[in-house]
Amino acid sequence: MRSKIITLSILVVLALGVIPLFVSDTFVLRILTEAIMWIGLAITFDVLAGYTGYLNFGHGAFFGIGAYTTAIMMVRANWPFTTALLAGAVITAVCALLAGFPTLRLRGAYFAIATWALSLAIQQLALILTITGGPDGMRLPPFLDPVYFFYLMLGVVSATFFLLWYLLERAPFGLKLKAIREDELGAQSLGLNPTRLKIQAFVLSAVPTGILGGIYAYWITFIDPASTLSDLVSDQALVMVVFGGMGTLIGPIIGAVLIFSFKTIFWAYLSNFQLLYLIILGAVIALSVVFLPNGLWGTIKNRKNRRDGPKKVEKSMSRDAEADKNIEKKSTLAAELKACTQKDGVK
Amino acid sequence: MMATPLLELKSVTKTFGGLTANNQVSFKVHPGEIVGLIGPNGAGKTTLFNVISGYYAPSHGQILFNGKDISGKPPYELAALGIGRTFQVVKPFPGLSVLENVLIASFLRYPKRAQAEEHAWHILETTGLADRAEVSAAGLTLAGRKRLEIGKALALKPSFLLLDEVVAGLNPTEVDLTIELILKLRDQGVTILIVEHIMRVIMQICDRLAVLNYGEKIAEGTPAEISSNPAVIKAYLGETAA
Repeated sequence: MRSKIITLSILVVLALGVIPLFVSDTFVLRILTEAIMWIGLAITFDVLAGYTGYLNFGHGAFFGIGAYTTAIMMVRANWPFTTALLAGAVITAVCALLAGFPTLRLRGAYFAIATWALSLAIQQLALILTITGGPDGMRLPPFLDPVYFFYLMLGVVSATFFLLWYLLERAPFGLKLKAIREDELGAQSLGLNPTRLKIQAFVLSAVPTGILGGIYAYWITFIDPASTLSDLVSDQALVMVVFGGMGTLIGPIIGAVLIFSFKTIFWAYLSNFQLLYLIILGAVIALSVVFLPNGLWGTIKNRKNRRDGPKKVEKSMSRDAEADKNIEKKSTLAAELKACTQKDGVK
Repeated sequence: MMATPLLELKSVTKTFGGLTANNQVSFKVHPGEIVGLIGPNGAGKTTLFNVISGYYAPSHGQILFNGKDISGKPPYELAALGIGRTFQVVKPFPGLSVLENVLIASFLRYPKRAQAEEHAWHILETTGLADRAEVSAAGLTLAGRKRLEIGKALALKPSFLLLDEVVAGLNPTEVDLTIELILKLRDQGVTILIVEHIMRVIMQICDRLAVLNYGEKIAEGTPAEISSNPAVIKAYLGETAA
């Protein structure tokens, strides 16, 4: 199954790679480039959400930080694109490190709220500073080569995918993160340092996101707080990941392709009903939580496992644990001690 | 004279606000011993386990492991030093398979995946879980989950093992199997501190016992000494029985 997925992924990347040889329509290339970018945003979101169990609503902020750093270095310091992009990656990593220490102490909804607040703070900061151009945003030197950006996006996203696949599905790192997700306290007694692992995951999720933001800025040539630092970036990534299947890497790709296709069609034909798009996005997440708790890919995988025999079936066990605890309490220890002391059967 | 104790508690006190869960507890565990920690419900046994395994820092006092002060060190550092523990309310990773559960613990001693897997399979065979390796940990019976709990602690290759009620809730056959496993571990050189309510088990396997009541150590000695100790009988059965 695993090696099949890798073979398939390489084939998909190669197939995507030859598209510009046959398609010269700028619009189509643009749609494909953005779809690939969303795949990148979804799989990096999954590192924290699916594998580590932390919903990061600051994901969009990392995208924005990468975009803004690249823009500032190119426009204000006249750096070439590649060095500016590199600076964007470094700044994103530093921000993730700084944001991770306080926020990763929180769990569940509190972490989500804290990261959401942080991303709003970043948005406000970009609005009031002069270096970011405030609400007017920034214009980057135009470089209008759709094929270049298509290959750049494809290269970065596939490199990210194979790196994440190796780290999360092959190397011990992924299992360690899952242990944190399943039981943070229990994991500690097995020699895992949760703070360190969570920060590593946070940075691993943030850096590629910042790079994607930098490429996006140069590609679109205009960024402003309302578009680049909007909550919609995190929200869409979340819907893609939950709908596709958390903690699988493959699920988020499927989710990204489906949601992005829907979005493109929606905006093409129903652009007068923007509000409706958000409502539908909300409905998709609510419905997938209720009817597809493991997402599309998770459901397919579970079906397949069930058909193949009694293998892994993911299921919560908290209720069983409660019941066991009650049974354990009922041992009649006083009676036993009495029996032991009266009989001479002691050692 | 005995060699340096593997574990030594020097008047360990743990308070939560105004509540004293452990008060001035001192005892030693020597290499190769099985020591039982007993006491009525609420006596502070699990708190003491949490203090020894690094989940709580002691409010006062010192914990020495191999002669080195380990008070207040986090659990993951203690795991690396060779202290393994199980939890009374078992903590399997329910979304992962039994093999993956043990594998995660195996990474501590074997950072390479292939060797870790080999080690994990070895542990699964020792604990009798090999045929359930691919099953989700949530799908195990209580007995299975308790074994998995021991298996995960063992995968750390500990020199010292803290077992918190690994027998409670099991049927007599399962109890015997677990006792057999614990004795086998002792023979392999693992030193064990065990909390258990089932006296049959305690009396059968422990070399020495320490008794806690209201957070204080009220007695220490061999099982035979403890079972005839008036203070212990009073703690368990009340004034008149003593």
